[in-house]
Amino acid sequence: MTAMEVARPEPLAGGAAAQTPRLTVTNVSKAFRVRHGVNQPSSLLQVLKNVSFEAYQNEIVSLIGESGCGKTTLLRIIQGLIRHDAGQLAVEGRAVRGPGRDRGFVFQQPSLLPWRTARENVEFGLELLRMPAPERERRARDLLELVGLGHASEQFPHQLSGGMQQRVGLARALAIEPALLLMDEPFSALDAQTREVLQKELLRIQAETHKTIIFVTHDLDEALYLSDRIIVLGAKPGRVKEIIKVPFGSERPELPLLRGDPQFQELRARIWQLISNQTTH
Amino acid sequence: MTLSTNVEDAADETELEELGQKSARKHYWLVRAVSIVTVLLLWEVAGRQVSPLFMSYPSAIAAAAVQLAASGELGEAFLSSMQTLTLGFVLASIAGVLLGLLIGRYRYVDAASDWLVNALYSTPLVAITPLVILWFGLGFSAKLFIVFILAIFPVLINTASGVRNVSSQLIDVGNAFAASEREIFVKVILPASLPYMMTGIRLGIGRAIIGMVVAEFFTAITGLGAMIIKYGNQFDTAAMFVPIICLMLMGVVYTAIAIRFERWVAPWRYTEDE
Repeated sequence: MTAMEVARPEPLAGGAAAQTPRLTVTNVSKAFRVRHGVNQPSSLLQVLKNVSFEAYQNEIVSLIGESGCGKTTLLRIIQGLIRHDAGQLAVEGRAVRGPGRDRGFVFQQPSLLPWRTARENVEFGLELLRMPAPERERRARDLLELVGLGHASEQFPHQLSGGMQQRVGLARALAIEPALLLMDEPFSALDAQTREVLQKELLRIQAETHKTIIFVTHDLDEALYLSDRIIVLGAKPGRVKEIIKVPFGSERPELPLLRGDPQFQELRARIWQLISNQTTH
Repeated sequence: MTLSTNVEDAADETELEELGQKSARKHYWLVRAVSIVTVLLLWEVAGRQVSPLFMSYPSAIAAAAVQLAASGELGEAFLSSMQTLTLGFVLASIAGVLLGLLIGRYRYVDAASDWLVNALYSTPLVAITPLVILWFGLGFSAKLFIVFILAIFPVLINTASGVRNVSSQLIDVGNAFAASEREIFVKVILPASLPYMMTGIRLGIGRAIIGMVVAEFFTAITGLGAMIIKYGNQFDTAAMFVPIICLMLMGVVYTAIAIRFERWVAPWRYTEDE
């Protein structure tokens, strides 16, 4: 358990081979049937083709790519909300066969239950785990405290701002103590200022909880600021183009400062090129 | 209000708008009060010009109301009507919610019943009153049945559409947390469709009152409807207006309660209002 205290592991280094990946995605493919009109024949759209990658303990991995590259589909497959056609997925070595409480999901829209208070929303997953009420409540309060909403636990979602709602969504996902936290463009619907605050908060919370996070985004700066590794997906069909290691370490400066770092600019340009090549081609 | 002339920045402006709105709200009440008094006065004046056979006026109706209340006739009719209305309406709400949940949740039940529900909802069901009286006689059960059959459809249809319209995002939350079908139904679908049920119940009230009056017209023995028929036949127009006004008040009070309840059940839908 002391291994958890170590900052970030080096997933590509030799030492990491001994560690079981939190998430293994092996040759995952997915196609959707597309109907172009009522009487038109349907065709198959290959959304993902032979996608493989791993994520290790305490690591933030971003999935980035232009819209339509299947990054959200991939995340939903990992959560078990969508079934994949081929390939294997495993969380801590156990094959994924549908939704499970070893994974926590943060949606693009906060998707809170409007009739529940912030605390009751956080308790949602715990109720499904049949946790007794007093323990549930205590855990929910702790988590709201962790995401900086200790004062708002009895507020209803409609009384909270978008950023606060997303914090509740994060607390709800963390409450079930998942091995893996999946985040689907969680900050994309927020204004720029709130987004930067929450990005910083996410890094703090990750440092406190040592969660493995798979983070879907289309924002290059966000990916570079948050991630240990960035998986660049190409589109049509979605596939892994390149896996980029982000060298900034766990004590990284805030995003506005990081933007001035020549290494940051270089990586940003490279990823941008990887993604935009794709579009013109 | 005097501040409004020298407002420069936007923050102050929004503040001032709110103050303006509040005082405007006060004015609305004043306008409403003036309107009520004016209409009553006009009615009083115009009503006195017409033969009391054809029309009555507020002061005569008030006098008749006092008399009918003192004799106990009004209270008895009111209680009888309330009994029919309340029982029929409560039964219709319960049955409507249960059937609506079934129809909304199971596509097969929906396919099997939607034609019938639509046909019955579109038919002015008061048309079957004579048939209902043949079945149940002139007593309480006939009236109860008519109230029930009229009130059930709005409840049922709104409940079913509430279940069907639960946002897929919320269902996804249930799925993502590996909730079972049953847990999703109880913890997500049911509370999410509650406001729709309440809307159905509110719409059902109006129809229940119509059903009650029509049934009492036909059976013409007890209740406010029977009173209307009785004094209509006696050409006592002022006394006839008393039960009509009672019905109006009944409708207003019930609907106001239902709206309150709707807001209490789903406060997040009405954040703009207050």
